[in-house]
Amino acid sequence: MVQLSSLLLKKYHGGYVVLRFALAGHKQANRPFYRIVAAYNKRARDGKYLEQLGSYDPLPNISNEKLVSLNFDRIKYWIGCGAHTTKPVAKLLGLAGFFPLHPMTITDAERQRAQTELTATGTEDGLREGRKEAEV
Amino acid sequence: MFQVIGGRSVQAARVLAPRSAVLVEAVRGRKSRTDPVARSKVGRIKVPPPVDPVEMVVLKERYGEYQMIMRALRLEFKEEMLRKRYEEDTGSLAEERARQEAQEHRVLMDLNHLENQRMLKLRIVRVQKEKEEADRKKFEVILQREQEQQEIEDAKNFITLENLDQRIEEALDNPKNYNFAIDKQGKVVKQTMLQ
Repeated sequence: MVQLSSLLLKKYHGGYVVLRFALAGHKQANRPFYRIVAAYNKRARDGKYLEQLGSYDPLPNISNEKLVSLNFDRIKYWIGCGAHTTKPVAKLLGLAGFFPLHPMTITDAERQRAQTELTATGTEDGLREGRKEAEV
Repeated sequence: MFQVIGGRSVQAARVLAPRSAVLVEAVRGRKSRTDPVARSKVGRIKVPPPVDPVEMVVLKERYGEYQMIMRALRLEFKEEMLRKRYEEDTGSLAEERARQEAQEHRVLMDLNHLENQRMLKLRIVRVQKEKEEADRKKFEVILQREQEQQEIEDAKNFITLENLDQRIEEALDNPKNYNFAIDKQGKVVKQTMLQ
């Protein structure tokens, strides 16, 4: 698929387009806000991009929601033109339902569940031991 | 390991009062090849995180599935894109749009033609008027010149202080008779009784 948008200023040899997060320059410490952006691979993270395809707010709001916006039409266009996605963007799209669920999301969830179960049983055992000691 | 800094960050770093004359700062990834290992890390053997074989097998399967689905999705999107583009270029809507555009073009060209005709008429009228104006001005100039010539000629017959005596004598010598009689048929009779 030829990318027909004109490569105006900087001609990239062997460069490719990437869908990734870019920090929106709000210049506020400890308050990040990401834009989901189609940009050339070698560009700076917050530098000039080809098109903005959405946004992602990593801090939860008052109703404990993390807000995400996605422009599915244009995402389809870029993926059809042969754009890659970074891991976090792939995970986000998987959670959104546009892509299949990323394997690492599932494995991370499983690991976390195993961890919580371990700590729960650990505390239970600890409690039980403590009670036994108290009885003894 | 240490990088020399200069510029705006110099101002802030100067507060730390370095002993060296040149300001140096610590940089990320700072040890170069020739720097010796730190004392706390002398006997360290870096070990990668442990891999659970069962989990690894499951993961590999999941990844294979995921990549297959992703490949399929990409091809589907590509196809959709191509189809959309094809539809745009040579679809039924495109023909209608082309026809409508041609029609609009024809209408606009007709309007333009009418405008041109109108402007042509106005132009002809205007040019005519201008030509008449120019002719009139020329006539006026000619008239002016004739008047001036006439005035010059009249000036020759004016009575001035030098001619005064001469003209008086002439007038007295040649008495002019302005009397005349006219018949009913319009015959003019200049012969009268001179007095």
